[in-house]
Amino acid sequence: MSKKHKISLTEEQLVFSLRNHEKIAIEALYDMYSASLFGVISRIVIDTAIAEDVLQETFVKIWHSFSSYSTEKGRLFTWMVNIARNLAIDKIRSKDFKNQNKNQEIENIVNSIDEQRNTVYKPELMGVKDLVETLRPEQKSIIDLVYFKGYTHVEAADELGIPLGTIKTRLRMGIQQLRKHFN
Amino acid sequence: MEDIRAYIETGILELYVLGDVTPDEKLQVEEMAKKHPAVKAELDEIGRSLELYARENAVEPSEALRDRVMGSILTNLADDNNFPEKPQHVNHKVVELTARKESNFYKYAFAASLALLVASTIALVNTYSRLKNSNDQLVAMQLQNQHFSNRVNLMDRELTIFRDPSFKLLKLQGTAKTPASVVTLAFSPAKQKVIIDMGNVKLPENDKDHQYQLWALVGGKPVDLGVFDAKTDSTDMKEMKSIALADAFAVTLEPKGGSVNPTMDQMVVLGKF
Repeated sequence: MSKKHKISLTEEQLVFSLRNHEKIAIEALYDMYSASLFGVISRIVIDTAIAEDVLQETFVKIWHSFSSYSTEKGRLFTWMVNIARNLAIDKIRSKDFKNQNKNQEIENIVNSIDEQRNTVYKPELMGVKDLVETLRPEQKSIIDLVYFKGYTHVEAADELGIPLGTIKTRLRMGIQQLRKHFN
Repeated sequence: MEDIRAYIETGILELYVLGDVTPDEKLQVEEMAKKHPAVKAELDEIGRSLELYARENAVEPSEALRDRVMGSILTNLADDNNFPEKPQHVNHKVVELTARKESNFYKYAFAASLALLVASTIALVNTYSRLKNSNDQLVAMQLQNQHFSNRVNLMDRELTIFRDPSFKLLKLQGTAKTPASVVTLAFSPAKQKVIIDMGNVKLPENDKDHQYQLWALVGGKPVDLGVFDAKTDSTDMKEMKSIALADAFAVTLEPKGGSVNPTMDQMVVLGKF
């Protein structure tokens, strides 16, 4: 896609060079993870321009607070996706964002949301066909709410009208399915 | 091992990877992962599968964004590299300091105003007590001043009387009843004035129901010249009722306010020309 070759490093190399603030580290990080992180961000922040702002903020934050990451706490992506999700949620809850939304006409909102939904769901339609078959719809909806939309499992239980225990079970079962699928 | 398995099956590790745990739960999971390799392995597996799931759902941001992100980070990096120390640390410290500086300013400002308040309160109390001292001294001086001016006035009057040749001084001596008593008075027939020198009155102090009354004897008849009190500390020159002629003067102790006729057996002093 890009003119240059995308840079890719092992997670170990990546963490090491990020600690040393090497220029190549942030480039590799961007090439390896920007699309995955943007997938999460753009499901929470529908407006593409704002979602891109959030992605930029995410990388800046990763770069500056990298000292707080330790491999003991889990995988690098787990840490990064939490940063991205929190920044995205902060953004849609912020005053600026709410004011911006108030300025749009109601009819336009319906249209623009439809448009944006299409772009958001495009990659999903392209890439995950076989995955959809392994993941049951009720598992997928919960995982997507919590992982992509930033709901807590308590909020997801409310949203879907399902008991908390069931939510936890389905989350776990769904992720088990994913593990099987990717192995 | 059973416990670990049960712990894994609670689903807390999934919630941890999804970022949906309380800070306490977060610490607990990290603690468990440190102690038990099985927990750490499980965490990594869950993380990996969700990472791959995110990759399946990836959305490419616009190509221009890459340069924008790199620009914003690498501009800062260039700045960071100007510091001799590790840029990462310096950068963190700078961010924290700006945040702290602001709160420090208010802290110091608050402390400074508090110190100022205490200092001015002390100064105020000091000044107030000094002012009070000065006021007290001033009042004392005024009293003293008044006292002196009274004395000067009195002496002035005494002098005028004693210098005036028309005044005759008469010492009324104690009667048999009160031999120690003495009353000195000045009498000017020309000016028709009778003045008692209270400083030289030697009479027993009267109680509050009685007063001394001065009489003039004119042709053997007593004439009332007014009442007075005998106090040991009085210094005044007391002017009595006027009379032009008198053969003798006498003082009797009468009920308060005086009597029309002298009570003869209460006569304390008597003096004749």
